[in-house]
Amino acid sequence: MVNANKADDLSLIKRFKAGDISAFEEILRKHQEKIYNLCHRMLGNAHDAEDAAQDVFVKAYQNLNRFKPEASLLTWLYRIAINTCIDYRRKPFFESLFKTSKEGDVFAVDQLSDSPSPDRLYESKQINDAIQLALSRLSAKLRVVIVLKEIEGLSYEEIAEVLNVSIGTVKSRISRAREDLKEVLKKFREQK
Amino acid sequence: MRCSKRKLISPYIDGESNEDKRSLLESHLNGCRECAREFNELQKIHMLLAGTETFEVPHGFSTRVLANIRAKEKRRSADFVHIFRTLTEGFAVLLLIIAGVILGSFLSKNLVSEKGSIAASFSLRVFAPVPQDSVGGVYLAMTEAENEK
Repeated sequence: MVNANKADDLSLIKRFKAGDISAFEEILRKHQEKIYNLCHRMLGNAHDAEDAAQDVFVKAYQNLNRFKPEASLLTWLYRIAINTCIDYRRKPFFESLFKTSKEGDVFAVDQLSDSPSPDRLYESKQINDAIQLALSRLSAKLRVVIVLKEIEGLSYEEIAEVLNVSIGTVKSRISRAREDLKEVLKKFREQK
Repeated sequence: MRCSKRKLISPYIDGESNEDKRSLLESHLNGCRECAREFNELQKIHMLLAGTETFEVPHGFSTRVLANIRAKEKRRSADFVHIFRTLTEGFAVLLLIIAGVILGSFLSKNLVSEKGSIAASFSLRVFAPVPQDSVGGVYLAMTEAENEK
């Protein structure tokens, strides 16, 4: 999936390096949905996801001239997004105190009282929130592999490339992430 | 103790197992209730995750990104102008100091050549004799008389 549009991306990068700024706009519009969704799944709410996704594309713009054509652009963007989301999580505590929430946000960890009740876990309209809540309980290391696999649809090989780890590591992290998710969902059911 | 075949479940669900491992797990699930239960639970989680909706990118996101990039570029060029200006000012001050030193050494050279040496320029002999009737002359005469006592 990551490699599907590699040739197309390479021609856009070539145009950008030659000074055509509109090529970057095309790159942005082409990949914004995937990057925004990854940030949303990693950070748990729309406000932080937009901030982080904006940072990703600003960093991409500033560093695109150094991009090596043998890599996949989406893999590169995913890597920037993951690092940005991890850094975003490290923001000082007081900043989160003054953060305003928007309608539809799910502050899975901070606002448990607003999160979906366990008995509605499997109802279709609540599934997205429930998944977000369950994902937020995982460590960032496990969350990122499960999001890249299950939601972004990357193969083990592609995830290994994004995270710069071995396929064996990806395999064991996904397995551990599923085990942890199973335990989290079990606890939700027990709260019924 | 956990069944050793359990580790085959996750790659199977992900479609990352080879044919041998797939058939090994499939036949194992028929005889191992523990693994069969685990398989069903993980498969359910997989379906749950795969069925999640995609978040829609906020309206005007790309416009905001491009505006953000332009603002950062502007700030960067303003920073460059500021650094350039500071450097120019520093350089001008340095030039003034160097010019001052050169001028100073040039003037002192002229003074030395006029009076012979720097030490001579500090000697009292360079002063003209004090006129007898002036206040200075009276003062010097009084001081000398005082010293002779």
